[in-house]
Parts: sequence; C-alpha cells; structure tokens
Amino acid sequence: MPVSACQTDLQQPISEHLLSLLEAAVSLEKWPIAKLISLFEANTEQGFIQRHQLMAYIQQQPKLASRRAYIVGVTGAPGVGKSSLIGELCLQLLKQQPGAAIAVLAIDPSSHNSGGALLGDRTRSLFPVGEKRLFFRSQSSALDLGGLSRKTFQVTRILQYLFDYIVIETVGVGQSEVEVAKLCDHSFFVMQPLAGDQLQFIKSGIMEMPDSFIINKCDEQQYAEQSLQQLEASLRTTRSLLKEGEESVIPPVFLSSSVTKQGFKDLADYITGLSVNEGNRNNTSNKENYFIAKWVRYLYGEYGYNIYINNVANKVDGSMSYEQKQLLFKQSIDNKNSLISVPNQ
Amino acid sequence: MKNKKPHLIYDDQGKAVSDRPWIFRTYAGHTNVWESNQLYRSNLAKGQTGLSIAFDLPTQCGYSSDHEIAKPEVGKVGVPVNSLDDFHVLFDQIPIDKMNVSMTINGTAMWLLALYIALAEERGIDISTLKGTTQNDLIKEYLARGTYIFPPEDSIRLIVDMYEYSLQHIPDWNASNICSYHLQEAGATPVQELAFALTTAITVLDAIKERGCFSAQEFERCVGRISFFVNAGMRFVEELSKMRAFVEMWDEITRDRYGIKDPKYRRFRYGVQVNSLGLTEEQPENNSWRILIETLGVTLSRKARCRALQLPAWNEALSLPRPWDQQWSLRLQQVLAYETDLLEYPDLFDGSHVIESKVKDLKEKAYAEISNIIDMGGGMAAVKNGYMKSALVKSQSERIDRLAKGQQIVVGKNKWLEGLPSPLVSGDDGGIFKIDVNSAQKTIESLKNSRRSRDAQRVAESLAVLTADAEQGNNLMPASIECAKARVTTGEWSATLRKVFGEYRPPTGVDGQAMEITTNRGGVQNKINRFVEQYGYRPRMVVGKPGLDGHSNGAEMIAVAARNAGFDVIYFGIRISAAEIVHSAIEENVDVIGISLLSGSHNEIVDQLSAELNKAHADIPVVLGGIIPQADIANLTAKGIKRIYTPKDYDLMMIMDDIMDVINEHKLSPCG
Ligand code: B12
Ligand SMILES: Nc1nc2c(ncn2[C@@H]2O[C@H](COP(=O)(O)OP(=O)(O)O)[C@@H](O)[C@H]2O)c(=O)[nH]1
Ligand SMILES: [Mg+2]
Repeated sequence: MPVSACQTDLQQPISEHLLSLLEAAVSLEKWPIAKLISLFEANTEQGFIQRHQLMAYIQQQPKLASRRAYIVGVTGAPGVGKSSLIGELCLQLLKQQPGAAIAVLAIDPSSHNSGGALLGDRTRSLFPVGEKRLFFRSQSSALDLGGLSRKTFQVTRILQYLFDYIVIETVGVGQSEVEVAKLCDHSFFVMQPLAGDQLQFIKSGIMEMPDSFIINKCDEQQYAEQSLQQLEASLRTTRSLLKEGEESVIPPVFLSSSVTKQGFKDLADYITGLSVNEGNRNNTSNKENYFIAKWVRYLYGEYGYNIYINNVANKVDGSMSYEQKQLLFKQSIDNKNSLISVPNQ
Repeated sequence: MKNKKPHLIYDDQGKAVSDRPWIFRTYAGHTNVWESNQLYRSNLAKGQTGLSIAFDLPTQCGYSSDHEIAKPEVGKVGVPVNSLDDFHVLFDQIPIDKMNVSMTINGTAMWLLALYIALAEERGIDISTLKGTTQNDLIKEYLARGTYIFPPEDSIRLIVDMYEYSLQHIPDWNASNICSYHLQEAGATPVQELAFALTTAITVLDAIKERGCFSAQEFERCVGRISFFVNAGMRFVEELSKMRAFVEMWDEITRDRYGIKDPKYRRFRYGVQVNSLGLTEEQPENNSWRILIETLGVTLSRKARCRALQLPAWNEALSLPRPWDQQWSLRLQQVLAYETDLLEYPDLFDGSHVIESKVKDLKEKAYAEISNIIDMGGGMAAVKNGYMKSALVKSQSERIDRLAKGQQIVVGKNKWLEGLPSPLVSGDDGGIFKIDVNSAQKTIESLKNSRRSRDAQRVAESLAVLTADAEQGNNLMPASIECAKARVTTGEWSATLRKVFGEYRPPTGVDGQAMEITTNRGGVQNKINRFVEQYGYRPRMVVGKPGLDGHSNGAEMIAVAARNAGFDVIYFGIRISAAEIVHSAIEENVDVIGISLLSGSHNEIVDQLSAELNKAHADIPVVLGGIIPQADIANLTAKGIKRIYTPKDYDLMMIMDDIMDVINEHKLSPCG
C-alpha cells in the first residue's frame, strides 16, 4: 500500500457516505459490502485513510467491534474440488444455523503476465440469487506466488465484523500454508482420492501441517477408501517424526463429495463446534504484526524489515490501527533514508 | 464385362450409370408450429428431399414455452414444441412414413423421438417405417453447443437407451449423430475434429457394449447405425482429405476395436453443414462463394461424399435466413448435382500422392490425440476435466489472433475492405429475417389448451412411471412414449428427469488458458496501467451469457482477451440468468458488465438486466456483443447499453481499448 508522504492525515473525520455504507453493509446489503471490500483492496491513499477511519470507528462501537467471524481456510491443488465443496458446505452451514451469515473469499491463482486474471471459482458455487446470508467474492492473487493475496488479509479486516464465518479458498502450496494458518482459525487441506504427490509432500514434511484434511470426490469410491488409509498412515508417521516428545494428535480427515453431497453435514458440525469451542486462534494484533512485516519485506526487503523490527515493532501498541502502524514505519524509513544512504553490510 | 473404363461408374449389370445425388436439406424452423409447417411444405415443393428441423432453445433445453426462462426465446431460433398436439400440427400433411427427418435435438432428444413415435402411432403408421436422425450427441453439447441438461453419465445412458430401442423398433432411425460440425464452429482444427468426434463415437459404442443389451449380430447392426455430422471449411483440399481420413479411420476403428466384420456396417455415413463460422458480416455477398467452395470439399471425392447436405445462407452473420435466402442455397446444391458432370465419375482422387500423404498425416495426428484421450480415461473424463473444451478454446483464440494480425486472409474482412454497397442488404428488410414477437402467444395458448383438455390422471401416472424407470435404470423410451401420448409437456418430461439425474455444468475451458491474443496490446495496456495507478486496483469485468443462448465463442474470446489485456475477469459459462449475472456483478463490484447474445433475444434480455440493476440500485455500465441487427441498436442504446459490438469488430484488443473508455467515462461521471 503506498503510504505517500508523511503528511498523510489520518485525523480527518469519517465521511457520512462511508458511515452509511457501513451501516448498510452491517445489514448485509450486497452492493455496500462489495464496495467496502473494494475499499480494503484499493491501493490508494484515499483507501488507506478510509480503512483507518472505518476501523477506528468500528472500535468505538462495542457491539460491532465485539463481532469476529470464524475464519476457515480451504487449500489444495487446483481442480480438487474446493469451490464446489465450499458451495455445498456453506449451504449446509446455513441449514444448520439459519441465522448465520457467511462470506466466501476465493483467491484465484491464474494471474497472467499482463497482470489480469480469470476468476473462475464462482462457476462452481453459484449461490441462490438474493440470499443475503451468503456473499461470494473473487480475488486475484496478483503477483504473489500462489496462496493468499496481499489483499486477502485486508479484506478479512472488514468482513470479520459483518459475517459469522469467512471461508477462504486458496491454492495451498508449501510456503503459503503458513500464511493461511496465520489468517485462518482453522485450515482444511483438500485432496482428491489417490493424490500421490500430495501424500509425498506430507511425508517429506515440507508442508506446514494443515489443521484437517478433506478427501473430496469420494464418489469415486474405490479410491477414496484407499486414499484415506494411505493418508492416515502417513499422517501417523509424520506426526511422530515432527512432534517427538509432544503429545501428537493426528489431524482429522473428512470424506466428501459434491456430487453425492455426502460428508457436508459432518464437516459443518465440525466447523460449528470449532467456532463455538475454540474460537479465534490469532488475535488481531498478532495478525497485523505478521502481515505488516510481510508488507514491509515485500516493499523494502530485509533492509526495511530490520528497520521495522528495530525502530517500529517496539513502538506499536494495541490501540493503534494497522494504518497507523504502517505510517509509523513509513516515517521511520523516510528518516533513516535521509541520514544514511547505504545500509550496513 | 470387358472394356470397363476407369472413369465411369458401372452398376451390377455393367451398365455405366451416374450416382444419385445426396439428400438436399435446409435446416429450418422458427416462430411456431403453424409457420414452420408451412415452411417445410413449401421447401419440399421446391425440390428439397428431406427435412431438417431446428427447434427453439426452450425446447432444446427442456422448458415449456410458458416457463420464465423460456419467455424471451420462444420461436426465436427454431420451432417450439410443447406436446404431441404441437407435433400433429408441425407434420400436418407431411408423409412421415416416407420422409427422412433429421432433428437437431440433444438434451431432450429422447423426448422428441418419443413424440415422433407417438405421432406415428396416433396416425396409424407402422413405426418401423420411420426414417431419420435425432442428433443426440451430448459430448459435443458440453464442448461446443450448449443444450445439455443432465450429467454426462445420465446423458450417455439416455443415448444408449435410444440405440437399444431404435434397433428393435425403428431400425432405420439414427439414434444419434456424432457431430464434428459444432466442434469446428467452436474452433476445432481438422485433427481435433477427427479426434474428438471419433472419441465421442468410441465413448458411445463402449457404453452400448458395456450395457450388453445386444447380441454380437445386433451389435454389428448397431455400429452400422452410427452416423456422423461433419463440417467443411474454406481450406477445401484439406477438408476433402479430412473426409477421406474419417472414412478410413472409422473403418479401422470399427474393425479393430469392435471386431465388426461386415464392411457395410463399417461405412462412414455422414451428413454435412458447411462452415458458418467463417461467413462474414462484412460484404456478405462474398459468403455465397464461400459456401460453394466449402461444398466442394464434401462432394468432389466420391469415396468421401456426404449423404446429406445443408447449406447456410449468404446472410448467415446477419440473422436467420429468409425463405428466399434458403432457396438460393438450395439452388446451389441443385446446380452442382444436376448441371455438372460430378456424379458421373468414380473417385477423382484415388492415386493422388498429394491427397494420400495429406490423409496419412491427418490420420496419424488424430490417432495420437485419440490415444492421448483414451489414456486420460476416455471421452467422458476428457469432458469433465475440461481437456477437450480447453483445447477448442485455445484453437479458436489462435484463429481470432490470426485474423486480427492478417495472417489468415478473409476477403472483405481484413483485406480488400473497400467495396460498393451491397444491394442484397439495401431492401426494405435490410436483408434480414425478423420473427414476429407476438407469435409466441399462439404457442402459449395452444399449450394451455393441451393442458386443459388432457387427462390429468394419465399424465400423473405416466410421469410416475418415468421417475420410477429412471431411478431403476430401465430403458426410458417406453415411459417417454406413454408420456407423449398422455400430452405431458416438454417442460414436465424434462423436469421429472432433472429431479432424478440432477443438472450439469461443464468446464468453461477459459481458465488455465496460457494462450496469447497478441495484437495491439500496447494501447489498451497503457490505459489499464493508468487505471491501476489511479484507482489502486485492476479493472474488473463480468462476462455474462444470459438466457439459453449457447453460443459461447464470443464470450470466451472476450473473457480471455480481457484477461490478457490486464482485466480481472469473472466468467462462468453459458445459461446464467440475468439476475445471476447482476448479482455476481454486484458482489464482485465490477466496473463493467459485458453481455454476449447471439440468440436473437437481446431486446428482452436487456430489459431483464436493466430491471435487475435498477432493483439493486447498482449503476454499472453494460456493453453488449453478438448478433445484434442494425435496426435494434438505437433502441438498445436508448435503454442504456453503452456499446454494441458485432462480428465485424473482430480485433479483440480494440474492443478492450474501447471498453476502457467506457469504464473511464463512467468513473468520471457523477455517479461513478
Ligand atoms: C459458431 C456458431 C454456432 C456454434 C457455436 C459454438 C460456440 N460454442 O460458440 C454452434 C454450431 C454450436 C451453433 C449453434 C446454433 N446456432 Co449458431 N452460429 C454460429 C456462427 C456461425 C458464428 C458465431 C461465432 O461464434 N462467431 C465467432 C465469435 C468470436 O464471434 P461473435 O460471437 O460474434 O463475437 C464477436 C462480436 O460479436 C463481439 N462480441 C460478442 N459477444 C460479446 C460480448 C462482449 C462483452 C463484447 C465486448 C463483445 C462481444 O466480439 C466478438 C469478437 O469479434 C453464427 C453466424 C455468424 N457467422 O456470426 C451462427 C448463429 C449465431 N447461430 C444461430 C443459431 C440459430 C444457432 C442455433 C440456435 C440453431 C438451432 N436452432 O439449434 C444453434 C444452437 C446454439 C445454442 N445452444 O444456443 C443464428 C442466430 C440467429 C439469430 N440471432 O437470430 C446465427 C446468426 C446463424 C444464422 N444466421 O442463423 N452456432
Ligand atoms: N466426481 C467429483 N467431481 C467433483 C467433485 N467436486 C468437484 N468436482 C469436479 O472437479 C472439478 C474442479 O472443481 P472445483 O470445485 O472448481 O475445484 P477447485 O479448483 O479445487 O476449486 C470440476 O469439474 C468439478 O465438477 C466431487 O465431489 N466429485
Ligand atoms: Mg476453485
């Protein structure tokens, strides 16, 4: 996010327009929600200021501020059926909790060298028109390598006050699993029956463990059983390797099929249980610190990161908004730059 | 007989003879059953020798004319058929026991065949005399044509049911017609046409074999009933070679894969419609020459000559043909068959090294692709995983790219653009055909009448049997024929099976495309870069295909081009309602909605879109593309459509550039 000059003024009062957008969004009106999401994605100074204003305003509304969506991550290779599965899962969650509202954020990895993307996830989860309790939004992963987009975290900042659940679809590959774990309260790794490569992946221990597994397309019966056994066996060995000494818990494995619609009740029950019993696992400042560090690294590399750790991290406190922290960093690096021109080796 | 001359054709008695011409057909049907019946009868009077029926989109997609989704489409691109009462009118005074009738019907093919059988029975005609074809190739519907309803497995099951029934009761019926025509229209190269069509035939035959309903001898006959519907484009020497490749490959596949001994049952029997994708909006009179040349590809070589031929008309890219336009194309066939000496000779190309080598080359490549698909799990797997669809989208985009770059010359389109105004389009009607929008009323009235006069109990019972048979895996033909006689409607038959089988939406083929549309990108990219700088995000566009229109090429090309230009694009395939498109556009907060419509229902559907946008208080600019007659443009613009593109706007990056202007104008307007 470009934080232009140090003059950026975060003190301006929030506009009536923004307030009315927020109010309409809270009552789940689509167009205002859509616009707020765009505001959190926008890489402009105005967006920056308005994000701060909104977040600061929300903190003063006890009822609104106390709401926190439970964030579920759904990762897995392209084509394993994530979008279809999310469609079914959301309908099932609503059946069980008619009062709930769910937002889906689908991150599409298909960015082209022009920067454009074809966002195809909607195809598989066309929700009933006019269903206010469901909101679907696609996001391109822009230039980030696979996994989450930098905008994803931003968008969850606002959605968490509007919805009870946020489901994030993303292609999980290695490194980005860490981010999914940071952003989400629970992550599912989806695979198809007999997805040999992914099993290898887990065995080799490269992949940060997802919290749970889903073997989808289990309408292809004979393979589903076999895969389940293989997966469980390799999970047992991996766990015993990774967490020696600790009490190792083998993550749950679910079977599902969007074709026969089986498995979604269990999955929905499980998620409901988690959201009630476990709640959010990362608090806001944890997440902000993680993503601000990522932002700093992305824009300024290790040099910037060191400045952040040494000069900013110790100054931030819980009352500051994400934007205030960004601004603090920006001021800090601007100062540095005017004093020393060459970073120490 | 001695002294046989190699340039003559001899009959069994050794007499020099000429071949009989192929069947002359005209693909026709529109408005309602009364008008279409008139049309068929006058076409037959002009010397046409078979019927080829075009149904409207609701009939093809399994909706009755009074269904909400059907309203804008009734009678627009074909004849609406709701019940057996309609069939009685449609075939009034047409001798169906003597007539060869080809029905372009797929998702509801079984239903239309059931209606035809019921019609014959009610007329007291022996059904074993019925001759004709139900197109019924669902694989190419998923890939190219779009009137699928059920999931692949269930579709194949219906096809096998029809083969089983036909072989026993209507032996001269072609239960399905394996199509490569539509694949070429969707972009297929000759090799893809060969490979995908033959894979489809293999998929169907494998399924028939798997059911095990035929004795070995019956299976031979069944293989003999497999017929094809093929395309022929402008590269007519290659097309001629492709036809010879088809003939040889089918002979080999039926012999080697299925062990068919009698060569008669291995013969590649095919009908043709020549290429229409290449027919232009610009200088439309040139299309007449194109149609003639394309016809040569499927008639010159006796060994690979079509059995039946239907030709498009010079005004293909403008509208449905008027009766005179169809007559002109029919005359082409008659002139070729009766004025020339073409039918007096044996094959002209036997012994040609050039043709032989070309055929060999095509065959090798096609066989390689077939085995590739079979390794992937076969035709159904290659539908479901999007392999074949993606390949078609890729070929189509390469074609469009060649056009835009001028690498493939199309006279009057990208070369020699200057010309005198065409007198063909200067008449009162502008050379186009217009459907009377009020004609649907008569259809809906008659549907109401049928519903009122029928025996409700018989309807309920016949539908209950249909459900039970569907669930239990029984052959669905008998139940469907009983439904037909009970005056069940097209919508009811389809809805009943939708309940049992569910519906299916195949992959769109656009995602994961790595191909390039490379022309002219600089201009639009600058505009997009400036946009990103100013607004902090990429311009977003929903590309929507509302209604029942299955013409996906345009939307696919626009989606891919927009992505390549730098847009974030949301595209989710065909047959999405106006409400769903607007809903998605809103949730995705797009900067522009792009609508593609080629089914003639643009006026009604644009009204639906505006109503949805108003309802949501969403002010999103809409652009439209497709077959939009000049006469409708002012009206559509008045309704708020920002831009309208037609086939003559073939440079996709110029379109993108123009759309960026629409977006920027909107951003600057007070409501933006
Ligand atoms: C190819 C084709 C087919 C293919 C479609 C393959 C596919 N997957 O798309 C097949 C063979 C399957 C087919 C079938 C039918 N077809 Co057809 N088909 C054509 C044909 C020959 C070319 C269309 C095409 O693909 N052009 C290439 C693409 C790239 O061009 P385009 O769509 O025009 O798009 C360009 C512009 O219009 C614009 N554009 C288009 N959409 C959009 C959207 C946006 C957002 C933007 C910015 C721009 C834009 O940009 C594109 C780039 O140049 C036309 C006639 C013609 N020559 O135009 C008939 C035509 C459209 N078909 C017609 C008919 C009637 C049918 C059927 C309904 C017949 C029937 N009764 O069954 C069937 C059923 C299809 C269905 N399910 O709806 C009629 C429609 C008549 C009408 N509107 O009044 C036409 C005009 C032929 C005719 N004269 O009778 N068809
Ligand atoms: N057989 C089967 N196919 C499925 C299932 N779920 C999804 N698919 C198919 O798998 C393909 C990819 O699905 P999608 O949801 O887009 O996967 P994603 O890329 O992981 O989001 C599509 O063709 C779906 O129809 C399932 O449960 N069973
Ligand atoms: Mg997906």
